[in-house]
Order: sequence, then structure tokens, then C-alpha cells
Amino acid sequence: MTFRCCAIIPSHNHSAVIGEIVRQLRSDGLAVFIIDDGSDDVHRTVLEAIHSPDGGVTVYRFAVNRGKGAAVIKGVELAIAAGFTHALQIDADGQHDLAQAPAMIAISEAHPEALIAGAPLYDESMPRARRVGRRITHFWVAIETLSIHPADTMCGFRLYPLDRLNAVLKSARVGQRMDFDPEIMVRLIWSGMPVFFVPVRVAYPVGNLSGFALIGDNWRITKMHTRLVFALPWRLRQILRNRRRPAASQDHWAALGERGAYLGLRILALFYRLIGRYGCMAAVFPIAAYFHLTSREQRRSSQLFLRRAYQAQGLAREPGWIDTLRHSLGFARKTVDTFAAWMGDIDPAIVKATDHRTLNNVMADGQGILLMVSHLGNIEISRALLDQAQRSRIKLLVHTLHAQKFARILQQFRPEAAVDTIQVTEVNPGTMIALKEIIEAGGWVAIAGDRTPVTAHERVCRAPFLGHDASFPEGPYLLAHLLECPVYLMFCLRHKGGYRLYFEKFADRITLPRRDKSAAVAQWAARYARRLERYCLIDPLQWYNFFDFWSTTPANAKAGAQ
Amino acid sequence: MSELERELKELIVRALSLEDLKPEDIDSNEQLFVTGLGLDSIDGLELGMAIRKKYGIKPVGSKEEIRAIFATVSSIARFIHSQRAI
Repeated sequence: MTFRCCAIIPSHNHSAVIGEIVRQLRSDGLAVFIIDDGSDDVHRTVLEAIHSPDGGVTVYRFAVNRGKGAAVIKGVELAIAAGFTHALQIDADGQHDLAQAPAMIAISEAHPEALIAGAPLYDESMPRARRVGRRITHFWVAIETLSIHPADTMCGFRLYPLDRLNAVLKSARVGQRMDFDPEIMVRLIWSGMPVFFVPVRVAYPVGNLSGFALIGDNWRITKMHTRLVFALPWRLRQILRNRRRPAASQDHWAALGERGAYLGLRILALFYRLIGRYGCMAAVFPIAAYFHLTSREQRRSSQLFLRRAYQAQGLAREPGWIDTLRHSLGFARKTVDTFAAWMGDIDPAIVKATDHRTLNNVMADGQGILLMVSHLGNIEISRALLDQAQRSRIKLLVHTLHAQKFARILQQFRPEAAVDTIQVTEVNPGTMIALKEIIEAGGWVAIAGDRTPVTAHERVCRAPFLGHDASFPEGPYLLAHLLECPVYLMFCLRHKGGYRLYFEKFADRITLPRRDKSAAVAQWAARYARRLERYCLIDPLQWYNFFDFWSTTPANAKAGAQ
Repeated sequence: MSELERELKELIVRALSLEDLKPEDIDSNEQLFVTGLGLDSIDGLELGMAIRKKYGIKPVGSKEEIRAIFATVSSIARFIHSQRAI
């Protein structure tokens, strides 16, 4: 697609300098879309007079004020309809230095996939309400994108690739007012869009009526960031995957902002070291509580699971809000413990294997096994019990490329703690043979037994779990059949301040008949479901599948949509 | 039909226990998967394992490359041949 850039100017009661802005943009050869966001009559008249579709200037009016975000979104819609591939967003109040526009366009043309964002060099003319807002935003954005950006995300002077922007706008409800600028940038970064920051001069001329309200907009922005942060755990893999790839080339000064890849995770690690595991937990609990209170889906799935678990335990009780809240907080705690495990901060002494002999025998024996793990308890903790030699023998099969890249990033921090991952969305004879070789060399191939594959058409079977049929993946049993190796189960549950590791043999071999393979697989899955059931009833609150486990739609598709 | 292709057809019938099929019923240029012989992806994996066991070769490459290798008996034969030549 040929690069075609236009300009989008949202305006609410700004018209004093709009003529000059449009003149400059036109002289740079840009078509201009002005969205009059319900301006008063005096401004409306001025804006209307500029409308000249033949002269490359389109003015679209909202009858009532709908907010800056809504205006930009409308502009994006118009620009796409007119066949533009990129758009430069500019404030209507003249605070942006248009002399930078050609440079931003040139960078965009060289990197059409990237967001080109103005990084303001502020002077003292910035009103206080804005400074407060910026400080709030800086803090949150650093957390949300796990990196310290060399610039902020509130500057509304930026150049978007329209197709990707539109996709992100369609996939999430983005703030419609002043919260739009920072939120859309965070979401674009999450989606993997590289960002180039271009220093721009920004001035707040005296008497300027910035549409920014000290209380209302700062509250809105705080709320928006709160929303983003609570979406963070579910985004973590994706963010880590996308975060700050090293720039393709360092030849452009704008690429300097691309340095410091992985800085964010280091900061998280530092944070962890500074306030420690329990400090982190204290910080994570309110976040988990808020998320719990605002996510109906999470509360419902938690309640459904706990109800069925209590029934299976023979308890005549209905899970109340306190149970589901504890369930969510347990997940927060698990997240911190997982990090602790990565950092090597889990004392092996607190992890007790219930059946040491089996574990030690399998380790000493040096045979390759298929290891089925789950989202019950915290399997990461098991790292503490395994020595480095053993860890290096484990290859974790993951369903998504994200998880794989995530693991690779992790490896950069603590190579000695890393577990190799292999992505199994695509198992072909080549990967199968690679797995077979791992097994023959005494490796452990680990795969989750409680998550169905990402794509719906893949192999899933139904098996009774806590009294109702649930979907289980067929993959582990097919793999076991093809790999011709023993299958073991491993669970790691929190127990009285420490952890208990359960390691048991599931099958010496799984051999599937030529005919009725599916029926045979379903029997194995049912057997696995019974083991999973037994372990989850030890402590139902450590069940971390926060989606309707009995639903017939693929679990990962739902988890991914969260 | 080359000796290798005949061997492969026997291997397919045996490894996949295609009882109602004789090796000579398989056309060397017939699509093995989805259409034609109608094998599924698990069959493909089993076949891959059987071929590795017998010929000690490893098909590696992208999804498309692997698919091309396993398309027909003759494409598998060509691949084995090329691996032997190395």
C-alpha cells in the first residue's frame, strides 16, 4: 500500500489559530480533517468557513461535545474512508510545533508500522492541571508497558498507522475524552507497535483555553490507567513479547528511544528486590481486589467452580463473596510467588515433595517422560526442587508463540532458571521428531493438561469434572502415544506457608488403537480429569482457571479475549 | 515405481494400520492428507515417526516445507533421497 498521510485535528472551542495550522499543513501537502467537537457558535462559524473538500480540508461537526477521543476516532474513520494509510494528530490550540511535522512524516514513511509520537520539551507555561495529569500518567504508563519511556504518552501530537490503530480501536473501548491520548498509546504499544519519539516544542500560550479540567480529566485519566493496570496481568505475555524490540537500525536519532530493551522487567525485578515478596503482595492485593470487583466474568467463573468443588467435597455451602474474593487474592499471591520462583527466591526447604522416592527415582533414572502440568496451584515453584541439570532437561510445550517469547525474555534475566519452551500450535512431523529426540535423551516434555488449544478446530474432548462435562485437550495423550514414553503428573500446591509438590505416574505408556482413537483419548482424558479433581479438592482456592471451565467454547480463545 | 516408493507405501500401510488397503493401491502422486488418501494430522505425525525410525532422517523446516515433503509418496521419496545424498 502506498503511504498516504493526512492530518486530523480535533477541536472543541478552538478556532483562533486553526487557519494558520491548516495553512501550514496544506503547504506540507497534507489533507486535513477537522472534527468540530460541538464547539460554541463563534468557533463553529470559523471552523465551518474552513471546510473546503476540493481544497483538501474537511470539517465534520458533532452537534454536541463528545470528547477529544471521540473526535479523533471520527477523524480516523473519515481518513480511512478517504483512502489514507497514516494520520498526523494535532491539537487545535496551536501548542504543537508544526515545523516538526515533515520530520515525523519522513520517519513514518521509513517505518510505516510504527507510531511516531511527539515527546514534548515543556516550558514553564504549562498549566498546573496538566502537570499533575502528566505526573500521574508517567507513573502508570511505566507500569503498564513495563518500561520507562523516554517521553510521555499525553502529547496529542503523533502520527498513527491507520489500519493498526483502527484494529485496536475496534478491539477495545478506548476513553472518549482526554483519557484517549495516553490510553490509545498504551494499547498500541501492547499490540506490538514500535514507537519512535520525536522531541517537539510545546508551548501553552497565555490565555490559551486548554480543554483540560484539573479535577474531571485527571480523575478520568486515573480511572483509565486503573483500568489498564487491571488488564495488565492478562496482557503481560503480550507486552513482554512486544516491549521495546531493539530498533532495526540505530541510524536515526529517533531510534535512540528504542534502547534499553528489557529495562522494564529489570525495574520490576528491582521493585521486587526493594520491597520484597511480601511488599509486592501488599501492592498486588488491592489491584486484585479491584479487578475482582469489576470483573463479573471472573467472579462468576470463580463462584461456579467453588460451588461445584464444595459440592464434590460434600460441603453444603454456597460460595459467598468472601470466598470468591479470597480466590482472586490467591491468584495475586500466586503471581508474586511465580516471580519469586523466577528470581530464585523460593527456599527449596519450603517445598516438600509428598512422594520423594518417585521424583528422585525418575530424576536419577534419566528416562524421558511426558509431564502433565496444570493451572492448579503454582507449578513454577517446582523449579525450587529441581537442580539446574534437571531443569535443563525440561522442555515446556506451550500453545502460543507469546508464551514462548515470554519464556525467552525470562531466560535473559536468569538463564539458570529458564525452562526451554516449544510452541505446539503447530506440531508437524519435524517438531514431533524433535520431541522424540528430547525424550530419547532423557528430557522431560511438559504440557498443560487443563487448557484446550488456541484454535477451535483443534482436538478437544469432553470429560466429567466435578460432576459436569468439561473440555480437555486431546494433545497430551496423542503426544504420549507418539512419543512412546511414560506419563507423569505434577502439581504444586501452597500448604501452610510452604508448598507441597505432588508427583505421580499417570501411565507407563499410552497406546491408542488405530480405530476409535477419539474414544480411547476421551478415556484417558477422563482419567486425568479424575486426578485433577482429586488435587483441586485439596484446596479449591488454588484453582487458577478463571473462565467457565465447563464451557464448550475453547478456553484459550476466551482467556485471550480478556 | 522406484524401490523406495514401494517401501514407503508398505510403511504407510503398516505404520497406519490401513488394513483395507494394499501398498499397490496407493498412487505415488496421490495426495496423502485431507484429500486423496485422507490421512489426518495425527497420521502425519505417526508417519513422520515411522519414517525417522526406518530411514533415520529428520524433516525440518517451516510448516509449508514440511507439508510439501509429506504431500505424496513420491515427494517423501524425493526427500529421503536428497537426505541420503548428503
